Amino acid sequence: MQNSEELKWALLVASLAMLTMAFCMISFVMYYQKRRFEEEKKINDIEKNYNRLLLDTALNSEETERRRIAQDLHDDIGTMLSLTKLSLNQLSKMTGSERSEKEDQIMRKSQSLVEETILHVRRITRDLVPTTLERFGLLEAIEEFIHKLAEDNNLTISFHADMEEFPRQAQKLELTLYRIMQELVNNAIKHANCTRIEIRLEIKEELIGLRVTDNGIGFDPEKMKESSMAGLGLLGIESRLAILNGTVLYEKPEKGGASAFAQIPVMPVAEVKLEPLHPFRRERVNV
Amino acid sequence: MFPVYLAYCIKNPVGCIAVFITLLPLILIIYRKAYIDPSFKLLLLYLVFKLIIDVIMFHTAAMHQNNLLYFNIAIPFYYSFLSGMFYFKFSSVAFKRILIASMIGFLVFTVWDILKSNAQLHDLHNHRAVLFAKTVEGVLIIALVLLFFYEIIKSLQIPNLLTFPFFWVCSGLLLYYSSFIFIAPVFHYTATWNNSVDLGIANTIPTVFEILCALLFSIGIYHFSPANYAKQ
Ligand SMILES: Nc1ncnc2c1ncn2[C@@H]1O[C@H](COP(=O)(O)OP(=O)(O)OP(=O)(O)O)[C@@H](O)[C@H]1O
Ligand SMILES: [Mg+2]
Repeated sequence: MQNSEELKWALLVASLAMLTMAFCMISFVMYYQKRRFEEEKKINDIEKNYNRLLLDTALNSEETERRRIAQDLHDDIGTMLSLTKLSLNQLSKMTGSERSEKEDQIMRKSQSLVEETILHVRRITRDLVPTTLERFGLLEAIEEFIHKLAEDNNLTISFHADMEEFPRQAQKLELTLYRIMQELVNNAIKHANCTRIEIRLEIKEELIGLRVTDNGIGFDPEKMKESSMAGLGLLGIESRLAILNGTVLYEKPEKGGASAFAQIPVMPVAEVKLEPLHPFRRERVNV
Repeated sequence: MFPVYLAYCIKNPVGCIAVFITLLPLILIIYRKAYIDPSFKLLLLYLVFKLIIDVIMFHTAAMHQNNLLYFNIAIPFYYSFLSGMFYFKFSSVAFKRILIASMIGFLVFTVWDILKSNAQLHDLHNHRAVLFAKTVEGVLIIALVLLFFYEIIKSLQIPNLLTFPFFWVCSGLLLYYSSFIFIAPVFHYTATWNNSVDLGIANTIPTVFEILCALLFSIGIYHFSPANYAKQ
């Protein structure tokens, strides 16, 4: 090429073309990467939602099943036991004077056995479905739960709520918190070897927090998750929380023991009552 | 001495900026402690080496001496440093072997090219730029960059490319070598002592993109954080 002017232009055009290609390449990589990432994220979201739905359904059906069992226990066995008690009472009255001492003893024993069984059935049905929770809310339910446990006298359980009037929350949220509290306290009793358990409930800007602290031997949650020792309890807490976007944090306080802190964002209270089955509405009438 | 440099700077301002802008990414690497990443350590070495070569060339150019020897000698070193950065970014062992082989092969090739372009090696005054080596270097580096881009897209591990330091480095390299690839062989014919065909703007394009490349390096290094690196 003799003409340097021509050469200059040719070079210029070639270089610019090459540069344009480079620019396109870079933009393409950026664009494509971004799009693929978004797609991936969408798929992940869908999967997560699906899993959550599955879990939710599983837990819901568990509650429904509990309710069904409680109702069956109450309606069938409870009624039969009541009738048995009635018949026994009648029999006792009819044979009142002509019984020997031995017969009298057996009669009284049967009566007290039936009575005890009735109590047991009532306790079991109540354990299966937390009626107090549904009727009076979280504060009452937790207090009742503690009260039942307090009979064991070398264990002090204290409960403290942030405010006097704890507003009612969505049914699902209350139930979740209640079940978590139950599991945490049960764990403390079962494993911690402790003398004090402290439960705290607080609302902080759209977040409900539940803290259960004990003064027992403590544990390392990270190790627990990895090791095969873990039971269903801690896993269950996590899956219950996952449904409601909650989090749980296990700490090791300096003074020893273990502390768990669960947090759930406040949900709008749903208008519809979840379950149509309500065996305990009639309970008062019955008794 | 100083007035000579100054006169050269005024005559060729873009070239001078291109020489000293290298300091920016260089200082940033040290300041951001990016050198804990082996790739960026090599980039640091590359920048130091480039700065030295550029300053020597700047000095000799200001003194009106032929400096193309340095230009030629630097080529295989540039390639080794830059491809070395990719050595640490790819995991495939076969690929690493090929990369090492290419470094050695390219060194041999450049020596051959220098000898072929300069029949009389001792005549430094009439030393000429290599005909192929610089272009081949460009092709190889661009190929590496494209390979790395492919890897990025395939592995899908970087959520935001704009904050990923090495992406900026790659973009800078891609642009710089793209701008240089066609002009490099022409240097062999035009950049001679007696017959200086003026390429005009075509001559400044690579220099401008050299500056841009240094700026892109700087942006990339600016996004580098040791904490993030540790996480990878
Ligand atoms: N408060 C605590 N203090 C000490 N160790 C605890 C405490 N809570 C849990 N752990 C330890 O963590 C383990 C896992 O608890 P998790 O509730 O998951 O299972 P579990 O109580 O053994 O069984 P499950 O709850 O299914 O009946 C327990 O086995 C126990 O060793
Ligand atoms: Mg448990």
